[in-house]
Amino acid sequence: MRRFLYSLSLLLGAGLLGPAEGLAQRVLLQSAVGQDTVYGQFGPNRTFFNHLYVGYLPVVGRAAGAGAKLRYGSSAEFMVGVRNKFRLSEPLSTGFDLRFVRLTYDLAQEAGKVLPTPELHHRESLAMSQLQLEAFVRLNVGQRGNAIGRYLDLTGWGGWALSTAHRFEDRPSTGPKKVHLTENGLPYLRRWPYGIGARLGSSRYAAVARYRLSDTFTSAASQLYPELPRWTVGVELSWL
Amino acid sequence: MPAISVLRRFPVFLFLLLSWPALSQAAIPPPAAARYWVELRDKKGVRFDAGTYFVPAAQVRRLRQHLPAADSTDFPVRPDYLCAVRLHSDSVLLVSRWFNAVACRATPAQAAELAQLPGVRRVLPLPETPLLPAARPAASAWKGEGRKTISAADRLLARRQVRTLGADEFRKAALDGKGLRIAVFDVGFNGADQHPAFQELFARKQIVATYDFARRSAHVFHGGSHGTEVLACLAGRMPDGTPLGLATGAEFLLARTERMHREIYAEELDWLAAVEWADRNGADIINSSLGYTARRYFPEEMNGRLSLVARAANLAARKGILVVNAAGNDGDNEDWRTVGTPADADSVLAVGGIDPETGLHLNFSAYGPTADRRLKPNVSAFGTVLTAAPGGYSHVDGTSFASPLVAGFAACVWQHERSLTAMQLFEKMQQSASLYPYYDYAHGYGLPQAGFFLANKAPEQLPKLDFVVEDSLLAVNIRPEASRPVVRALPFYADSAVSFPDARRVPRVGREEPRPATQGQAVAPDSGPPALPAANYLYWHVADARGVLRRYEVVEVSQRAILRIPRRTLRPGDVVRVFYLGTTHSYPVL
Repeated sequence: MRRFLYSLSLLLGAGLLGPAEGLAQRVLLQSAVGQDTVYGQFGPNRTFFNHLYVGYLPVVGRAAGAGAKLRYGSSAEFMVGVRNKFRLSEPLSTGFDLRFVRLTYDLAQEAGKVLPTPELHHRESLAMSQLQLEAFVRLNVGQRGNAIGRYLDLTGWGGWALSTAHRFEDRPSTGPKKVHLTENGLPYLRRWPYGIGARLGSSRYAAVARYRLSDTFTSAASQLYPELPRWTVGVELSWL
Repeated sequence: MPAISVLRRFPVFLFLLLSWPALSQAAIPPPAAARYWVELRDKKGVRFDAGTYFVPAAQVRRLRQHLPAADSTDFPVRPDYLCAVRLHSDSVLLVSRWFNAVACRATPAQAAELAQLPGVRRVLPLPETPLLPAARPAASAWKGEGRKTISAADRLLARRQVRTLGADEFRKAALDGKGLRIAVFDVGFNGADQHPAFQELFARKQIVATYDFARRSAHVFHGGSHGTEVLACLAGRMPDGTPLGLATGAEFLLARTERMHREIYAEELDWLAAVEWADRNGADIINSSLGYTARRYFPEEMNGRLSLVARAANLAARKGILVVNAAGNDGDNEDWRTVGTPADADSVLAVGGIDPETGLHLNFSAYGPTADRRLKPNVSAFGTVLTAAPGGYSHVDGTSFASPLVAGFAACVWQHERSLTAMQLFEKMQQSASLYPYYDYAHGYGLPQAGFFLANKAPEQLPKLDFVVEDSLLAVNIRPEASRPVVRALPFYADSAVSFPDARRVPRVGREEPRPATQGQAVAPDSGPPALPAANYLYWHVADARGVLRRYEVVEVSQRAILRIPRRTLRPGDVVRVFYLGTTHSYPVL
């Protein structure tokens, strides 16, 4: 009787827990062709693709007037974002980016400076942390497989300045060696930047140029300060 | 900022973007001229003499296969059309008789002019895309350069890689591919002219022609060692004379079909140029261990009709050349998984890789079917081999090396049955394979077997199992007599055998005896030819009415009640096929 119950429980166990096809078999290779040959919708040249990227775009050009000279190289946009791309056809895609941008204007400390004060420091900058949304239309060239390929993006972007800061560093001859001071919430900076841009890319690399349409300063402050350079030109590296 | 101001600045903006030299140089070199494929309208009025154009071997090949001495695809392109294309382009890269087309480099404006020429049918852009060798990094620590010392395991592998295809039978029948001409397309043959593995090959002047389509020269012994490794799997020898491939007696045409300055790339145009060159120089077989995949195509485009190389390969088959191509190494690439091109072409014998240890499909070997649901790979061979590499010998993995093993096999068969056409040979090689008529998308029909062509009588095909229709299941049971010769007599259920030992054979406590040594162990196979890989496995699939598989499996046989297939998963018209011990059993679902 015990042996019967034992065998019954084993058989029931095998029936409930075992695979539907083949009892107690070791499957060495298995393929359901219908499932294995489903072609994905996600990929660099598929219906949808998204990826992270980082960018460095130095500010180029000059301020619109005297008193706001910049240090180039360190005056730049650093950005990190996620790009979402939707394929419309082989040569045409569209999409949008969400990104965090840190924009810094490193102010040259020269006589005649007016921005934001005439006072000279060892080092001084205006910085903005922004959240930006950018829409783009992508034109690809050449037939390709599931690859990004070579492309030209035409973009329009806008954002909101999370924070603004005026930082400066002094090195007094007496007392402390260095003095850092930061002023936040600058009332003379606009909080809603926007602009246009273009991107020329190949695979994970892209050369980018962006032009800011919005003014840097509020209408009241723009009487006091010259408009800062509107162009940033740099590179982006994507994590594909 | 007013909108007019923006528009006024916009050209400056674009100018700045495009003239950012450091960045655009590093990231995107925008070529002024691109490559175009110019298809011409006709070949009216051209003169062609097959007797002077083709070498004698090419003429004999056509004659033997009852093909015309030449057809219109062999005629040269019209010189006036070619002149016009030259005038309206920067440079001509390739003139293809087969496609009556010219590949050229031209600016977009020139391309527009070309499209307007009276002799031009259409102009298509040609992307610059690399062709990847179907090889993987060597598995062993001594990858790259070959090793001089050869272990016993290496020698065993070297013998098995050809013996599993029937090297012993071929040797007894004195078949080594003699009289056949094999073209090898690869990325470079580094050191092949110096390597002892090919000493005999060169001494006997079996390398009849070489051409580097990248540098337009006859020197091909540079650029990469992949071709050397592939050639060794056709006709290389170990230091003791043991052949590494089956075609040690064949003649070879070596083509370096690579255009990049780095070693591992080639292009589609080179492949096309090489195939026309091979045809003209009398190739009977082409071995191509190369393939296009994701850089240019999508897996759903692998239908054998889209790519230039697939169409060229099909045309080669029509001219009596057997094209053998590696299936590809993307089986474990979730984004690709399937065969590349030209392995997707229906007249190309695509070769998958088998694991020498298990006899089963290697994970990296590309799976079928093609996008239009045709069987690929067609056959398989070892995808891990011992081969010659610069400086010695090396273990390598890749369907690149399965392909020349099968190409060598084809040479021996064709030497034996010279009257076969290329496609008849193709079909017969599939029929000779170890699983035939069973097939799946991992192994194709399995390993081709020399015995099929050389044995006096076909092996006896006795039924080994029964299909039993139960209420909701289709049961497949191995017959008791079929289980005995291979392993121990199988129990009906494996777990019953384990759980309930026969009381009569278990003495009382204190009187136990050791079990017989053979119980539960596989009986060593009889001496003779090596057992085929996976001989004790059971393969099964469900095919629809068109023969397209819906699922397939390989299971290890441990009991006689081997399969229980729910009948709800089967549709009318389906066929369940089960391969076991050399016999394929079919159950048509009504």
